[in-house]
Amino acid sequence: MRRFLSILSATVFTASLLSGAARAGDASVPVLVPLTGFLSLEGTSQRNGAVLALKDAPAGVTVRSEVIDTGTSPEAAVTALERAAGGTVTAVAASMLGTQMLAMLPLAQDYKIPLVTVSGTASITEQGNPWVFRFFPGDAVTKEAHARYVTEELGRKRPAVIYQTTAYGQSGKAHLEQAFKKLGVEPVFEEGVDPAAKDLLPVLTKALAAKPDVLVLHLHSGPTALFIRQAAANGVAVPIVAGSAMHQPSTAALLEPAELKGVCAETAASPISGGSPEVEAFTTAYRTAFNAEPDAFALGQYDGIRMVLAAVQDGAGNAEAVRKALSTGTHQGLAMTYKSDGKGNMAHSAVIVCYDGASRVPAIAKRYDNLTGVVTGMVK
Amino acid sequence: MRKGVRKLWALAPTLTLPRWAGEGIGVAVLLAYALLYASPYGLRVLTVAGVYALAAIGFQIVFGLGGALSLAHGAFFGIGAYATGILGSQWGWGFAATFPVSLLVPLLLALLVGLPVLRLESHYFALATLGIAQVVHLLAVNSPGLTGGANGLPGVPGIVLFGWAVPRGLPLAAVVWGFVALGGLLAWRLARGRWGRALTLVRDDPLAAGTLGLDVGGLRLAAFALSAVYAGAAGALAVHTQRVVSPEVLEFPIMVSVLTIAVVGGRGRVAGAILGAVLLLHLPEWFRFLERSYLIVYGVALLATIVLAPHGLTGLLDRLFPARPALLPKPEAPPEMAIPNGPLLRVEGLTKGFGGVRAVDGVSLTLEAGAITGLIGPNGSGKTTLVNLISGLETPDGGRVLMGDVDLAGKRPDRIARAGIARTFQAVSLPEGASVLAAVAAARLERDGSIAQAEAHALWALERLDAADLAAKPCAGLPAALRRRVELARALARQPAVLLLDEPAAGLTDGEKAELAGHLRAIAATGTALLVVEHDMGFLLPLAGHVLCLDQGRPLYAGPPEGVRSDPAVVAAYLGEGA
Repeated sequence: MRRFLSILSATVFTASLLSGAARAGDASVPVLVPLTGFLSLEGTSQRNGAVLALKDAPAGVTVRSEVIDTGTSPEAAVTALERAAGGTVTAVAASMLGTQMLAMLPLAQDYKIPLVTVSGTASITEQGNPWVFRFFPGDAVTKEAHARYVTEELGRKRPAVIYQTTAYGQSGKAHLEQAFKKLGVEPVFEEGVDPAAKDLLPVLTKALAAKPDVLVLHLHSGPTALFIRQAAANGVAVPIVAGSAMHQPSTAALLEPAELKGVCAETAASPISGGSPEVEAFTTAYRTAFNAEPDAFALGQYDGIRMVLAAVQDGAGNAEAVRKALSTGTHQGLAMTYKSDGKGNMAHSAVIVCYDGASRVPAIAKRYDNLTGVVTGMVK
Repeated sequence: MRKGVRKLWALAPTLTLPRWAGEGIGVAVLLAYALLYASPYGLRVLTVAGVYALAAIGFQIVFGLGGALSLAHGAFFGIGAYATGILGSQWGWGFAATFPVSLLVPLLLALLVGLPVLRLESHYFALATLGIAQVVHLLAVNSPGLTGGANGLPGVPGIVLFGWAVPRGLPLAAVVWGFVALGGLLAWRLARGRWGRALTLVRDDPLAAGTLGLDVGGLRLAAFALSAVYAGAAGALAVHTQRVVSPEVLEFPIMVSVLTIAVVGGRGRVAGAILGAVLLLHLPEWFRFLERSYLIVYGVALLATIVLAPHGLTGLLDRLFPARPALLPKPEAPPEMAIPNGPLLRVEGLTKGFGGVRAVDGVSLTLEAGAITGLIGPNGSGKTTLVNLISGLETPDGGRVLMGDVDLAGKRPDRIARAGIARTFQAVSLPEGASVLAAVAAARLERDGSIAQAEAHALWALERLDAADLAAKPCAGLPAALRRRVELARALARQPAVLLLDEPAAGLTDGEKAELAGHLRAIAATGTALLVVEHDMGFLLPLAGHVLCLDQGRPLYAGPPEGVRSDPAVVAAYLGEGA
């Protein structure tokens, strides 16, 4: 099955499902994601989510697709988009890397191609570009949930914020600062960490010296695992509330369940935690297809492509029609209900998951909806 | 079909083409592809290839010609990119203003860091330049107010030329490749001219280059700075093509790409930079359908290229389709240098220590015009160190080296060479990749106005030593005696007032020694003062008019050659106290 999907995504394929529906449509959805480089784990999740959605195309919709690795450079992403734009394109499953998205946006506008992404980088929807649609809560959403959970649920007032010196880290740190300020809390410690750092004990020690009552992380997957391992090894009793990288099953797999005890993390969704029969069915299908655990990126990209295909099924015959449908419609996805806030931010919910120390599957501890006040519906 | 290919292959080595033919065919193919065949995607890849070609042309100057593995080249690329990105997106400056600044900022930084860094040798230089790149990257990531931090800066405007906003596709590709053509032409002319030849010698043998009057430090700094200008230009164009600048432009993969392009294309060649960039930028695209597996195919293809074409693709093409050999110039005597009579060089109390060892300890000597002085002594007595001190390869701890009234002690080798002192080396030092004529012409680069003139004068020097027939041969593979003769011709081409020869007869047969002695007498007859370091007394004593013997860095004997064999101190130094 995995092999089948690989061939399917690597070459042009036609998935024509038997249907007597009158609204049959063609959809060409290239998948341009980072499969190599430091974001390969997350990019692969994104790819898998998109490919699964394309495989499950709704009745009457004929799908063509191609997966292209964008690496991690903006230059490669632009080239990939230029390559994809050579044919008729309905929408593009576009890289989750913010710098790549920023580079692709002008070209997408020129070619009039909707970009459907799960990038969390705030600025991609701040460029006034009507062709970008983010099916993952941006930092404005997730960091508000992050800060509110720390402050309102845990009652902590002295956070130490440790972030990554990357686009992801700097964007998250900026929004955490704002969210804490709004809640009347000032971090007692803030420090950026290079993603290549092999020992995080120095920054942990410095953070503890500031006497925080909670450690707030906004790190990539590997550094998150390293930080939590070193904190557990040193008997740190201060609670840890991490960024979305922690929720990824691949991050949890780097740690023993005991090391995860009491650790929480913000994320858009946690498909392996269940929550509804539809999410559980998605998780089962994902495991079968890819022999891997799905994460929020996979689910967000799945939902995004499903919304595109639903628009095609409803008669959107070209990229402009799809853009209109994404801009104005509401989609009941598996993770949440999606609706644009006018800038292309489709996701407005976030959850906090926590680990009990007995397994690597977290439980949803708190759900935050309508963080931008646009969406009123809830996930079934 | 196979037979046909084999026949073609067999014919290939006999096919000789004009020197410009390969470049001409390449340009025609690129033009035809861009104008007639390329899709917008193809043009995009071609445009990016042009950006990398420009960066690689600059890298060929510092690495290919100058031999300095500058790992700061990627940083200069990024600095050019950021200059354009910041000024364009934040300050609203247009291309006419941002582009020159993108050239100027890397140039200034290269001049600033080049002075201390270029003193370092090989891998230390590479590490230092890598450090520069890391610092610049960290600054970009951690200065979000200026650079946009890790997110970078979007909204970089496109290129506007004389009011015309250059659109994507063919026009943008044409503009980028226009810069490649300009940069390539300039680099090509520099590489083929005196500056390029001098830089190549600095790469192959910096010690010899200095003693031939070439300012090694100045040449390296100029190459480093010029390469930074190319990198800055490429970075600026890169940002205009992707309309966003982010720290990726400062990351190591850019540097690795440029280095790979230079090596795969052919080190030191402008055509190599262009060929390498076009190939390496297209190769991953051809295999992109393999998803992440394309990297394996890409790696194998690169490895195969390097194994099959160790001198790069241009080297392979040269082997398959050798260019017609260039015609030799007519030999031409250089303008005569007036050499005064009497003492030309006076060494007074020269001393040099290495740790606790006094290698040269208070040595004085005088070299007279037209005279041959022999310098002898047991191994380790300080002979070569003395020659190195006089020629500037070592700095003396004390003493004076006077040419007329000018004290040359401690001066740079090129300044000493320009004062009229030439030398040869104990281990003959010739650039292996060069022809004999080019090797000898290197001695004239500092003086003559053109390569043609330098080669005409070099042929004159070779003729004086009956070695003109060697001119077209490569230095690599020459037998020892001929290598020594070529090296002597190179020193002679300097028209020196003082000539220092370090064991010129080593490894020669008796017949060759006799011939060499005749040449040395003829050189002395023109007024040049010779200092000959030699162990072979049978060769030296009949040749020299005066002999200085050193032992443990100190003068042991100074006088006529006839007295050497009978001097008990000299005999004891060579044979032991009991002799």
